Amino acid sequence: MVALVIALALFFDFTNGFHDTANAMATPIATGAIKPKTAVALAAVLNLVGAFLSTEVAKTVSGGIIREGSEGIQITPEIIFAGLMGAILWNMITWLKGLPSSSSHALFGGLIGAAIAGIGLHSINFESLMQKVILPAIFAPVIAGAVAYICTRLAYALTSRHDPETGDKLTQKRGGFRTGQIFTSSLVALAHGTNDAQKTMGIITLVLIAAGTQPTGSGPQFWVIAACAFAIAIGTYAGGWRIIRTMGSGLTDVKPAQGFAAETSTASAILASSHLGFALSTTQVASGSVIGSGLGRKGTSVRWATAGRIAIGWLFTLPAAGIMGALTAWLVSTGIVGVVIAGAAGFASVLLMYFESRKSHVGHHNAVEVEEAGHAVRFQKKKAAAAARANKKKGGQK
Amino acid sequence: MKWLELLMVGGATLVAAVTVVGLYSLGVRLTAIAGDVTPQAPRWIQPLAYICFGLCGVAVLFGLYLIIPYFNK
Repeated sequence: MVALVIALALFFDFTNGFHDTANAMATPIATGAIKPKTAVALAAVLNLVGAFLSTEVAKTVSGGIIREGSEGIQITPEIIFAGLMGAILWNMITWLKGLPSSSSHALFGGLIGAAIAGIGLHSINFESLMQKVILPAIFAPVIAGAVAYICTRLAYALTSRHDPETGDKLTQKRGGFRTGQIFTSSLVALAHGTNDAQKTMGIITLVLIAAGTQPTGSGPQFWVIAACAFAIAIGTYAGGWRIIRTMGSGLTDVKPAQGFAAETSTASAILASSHLGFALSTTQVASGSVIGSGLGRKGTSVRWATAGRIAIGWLFTLPAAGIMGALTAWLVSTGIVGVVIAGAAGFASVLLMYFESRKSHVGHHNAVEVEEAGHAVRFQKKKAAAAARANKKKGGQK
Repeated sequence: MKWLELLMVGGATLVAAVTVVGLYSLGVRLTAIAGDVTPQAPRWIQPLAYICFGLCGVAVLFGLYLIIPYFNK
């Protein structure tokens, strides 16, 4: 059972990696800062490195949310198995449907649902849940968005050039930001590793604690860290190829300066909160930043309908994954047959969804998450047209 | 309560991002000025731009240094 759960956790890590490559690398590929192949490889390596940097978030996951051990509540590997199943299924569904959602919340939702169904309400440490998951989930995107707004303003203010006498606009020469994006997007990939790989480490540690092979309240072991780091890196690398194809059709009208500001804000927000052990969603932070930086540039307005859709997606993730986790937990509680059924059903549906995704042509559904946020920001027609023209020109040159 | 920590995250994010973006933008601006043909820019502008980029890189590295537990043992 323990081995099964660890395998499942690593698979979750893998899906997380390919779900989230777009967060870091969508904009630099779109603006032509890095070649797609290089970008994906870079993201994979940096995720790997990031996973080793800090284990604060892993400790939050393994030691905070579900009361384990000493207080008399036995969290079993079965419960964690159920939670992971819920998370993976929800992750695959949203990925297939193109709903912007957070892998992290799917994970927490699944675990919470499974724990409530399998043990009872009292198994959840609601205070810790509130402080370490819910509050950061609300505030981190807002913080990142506000900071991205300020940074975009700053970047444009510092680089806008006017002729001192006539007041005419000079050539702005903001091309330097394109190079800068290589570094900022690398930072985002690194930050992703410090936050998202941690969650899986936390889960595996939780399993090991539940199985009694590790003392309660201890941090992740080295082999766990290494395994998670590699799983997320491989996932990132695998996910990249789909995104490359998406990029071929060109997607965002985010300018290099905006992208630079947004990525810097994303990276600093994630790194800062990882450091304090907040398990937040990289997807949500990145989306918040993109919207913030869109607002910061003159001549843009936000499509609140799209933004609202994103928000609803966020709201749904936790309960939906929770319900799936609860269902699985109920199945598992019926005994060994239940475990087999749950495992087989989960495996079958994941396989089904994978083939489903293969069948449908590679559209936007794999790079939705941040792109969706990009769509929420509307550019004035004139600028959009100009951007389209510029894009065409770029395409022509290639 | 975690409000204080949340505030810290917000503050740290703001300071870090503004520092990095500010320095980099300044570098971009100075490079742009250095590239001007008329009026001819003073010669020290380009090195100054490189200094800005360099400081920006140092700021990033310093931030990472603060975060990575390995260096703070």
